[in-house]
Amino acid sequence: MQITVNGNQHEIDVEDDMPLLWILRDELGITGPKYGCGIAQCGACTVHVEGIAVRSCQVRAADIDGEITTIEGLGQPDALHAVQSAWVEHQVAQCGYCQSGQIMQAASFLDQNDDPSDEEIDSAMSSNLCRCGTYPRIRKAVKTAAENLRSA
Amino acid sequence: MIKVFTFGSCLLAITNLACGAQTLTAENKLNEFPAGSVTLEQGLASWQIFYEVASHPRCSNCHVGSSNRPMWSGPSYGKTRPHGMNIKADESRIGVESVPCATCHVTLLQPSENANTMPHTPPRVTAPWALAPVEAEWFGKSSSFICNQLKDPERNGNRTIADVASHLDHDRVLQWAWNPGGNRQSAPYSLQMVMDALMKWSAAGTPCPSE
Ligand code: FES
Ligand code: FES
Repeated sequence: MQITVNGNQHEIDVEDDMPLLWILRDELGITGPKYGCGIAQCGACTVHVEGIAVRSCQVRAADIDGEITTIEGLGQPDALHAVQSAWVEHQVAQCGYCQSGQIMQAASFLDQNDDPSDEEIDSAMSSNLCRCGTYPRIRKAVKTAAENLRSA
Repeated sequence: MIKVFTFGSCLLAITNLACGAQTLTAENKLNEFPAGSVTLEQGLASWQIFYEVASHPRCSNCHVGSSNRPMWSGPSYGKTRPHGMNIKADESRIGVESVPCATCHVTLLQPSENANTMPHTPPRVTAPWALAPVEAEWFGKSSSFICNQLKDPERNGNRTIADVASHLDHDRVLQWAWNPGGNRQSAPYSLQMVMDALMKWSAAGTPCPSE
């Protein structure tokens, strides 16, 4: 089958039930999305399908329905996405393992709602776990990213 | 600002959920029972069948009120509590404003026997996961409350009981309740029995139990 990831088409030969996360990491070598749990409990594997955040461990090959974006395709080093810039500004990452999922979740959320309250941010980000406890910085960075997106 | 977005083959918006679900072919039969052929007692017994289903966690967990918070209750969850991870389905009832239900309850493109075999994973069906409309609040509600709600056109989408019964057969999330997979307990009876129970209840004049 053919899939499009970060604007590039790939031909892949995999079982129908292979999770997208496996396809990205093992078949295509795109290792920004991380494996944390495999059962939609952590958010480390979050990518976008047609701009909407999905847990790639839950999307089977047969259910891929649209273009995929991973952290590698969200922005570029010289042209960061507003969420990535805010993450740098607030130095959000600790170990970093959860952060590609956090950023992809935040980017999709802000695309739907670019003026979120603290409560909405907490609700949108609570299903992405961070063992390092960077949550206060995540909340600040989401607010900064929202401001930057609104004034862009 | 909340935007409308498309997900899979479906259009999801704040007040609208339109997708392939409406065009599904029926899998069960809408059996008619002539008015007067069902006694009051049989009608109440038929209602009881429906109530056992409506109050079963497999159904009531997503038939919540204006909290917009799905519930985790029933034997596979231990104690009753709101859906983990601070999940709210929001006013859209599909989570557009925070985390779309479909972020984890991924929409399948094809029906699949083994999509939901693993316990503790989010169930997936061939329709976007969603809460029932807020007017159809069942969680913790009495038999009499749900009975009067179900026959009230203001709260049932302006449907006759036959419309309600056939509507049940066209909803993939609802059908999943009888084949939930993992370690989840199935809803009682079968969808065919529930549709028959509604039609008998209707033929008996939609009697409701007193409180
Ligand atoms: S690895 Fe997908 S949610 Fe944890
Ligand atoms: S930064 Fe270490 S898990 Fe989140």
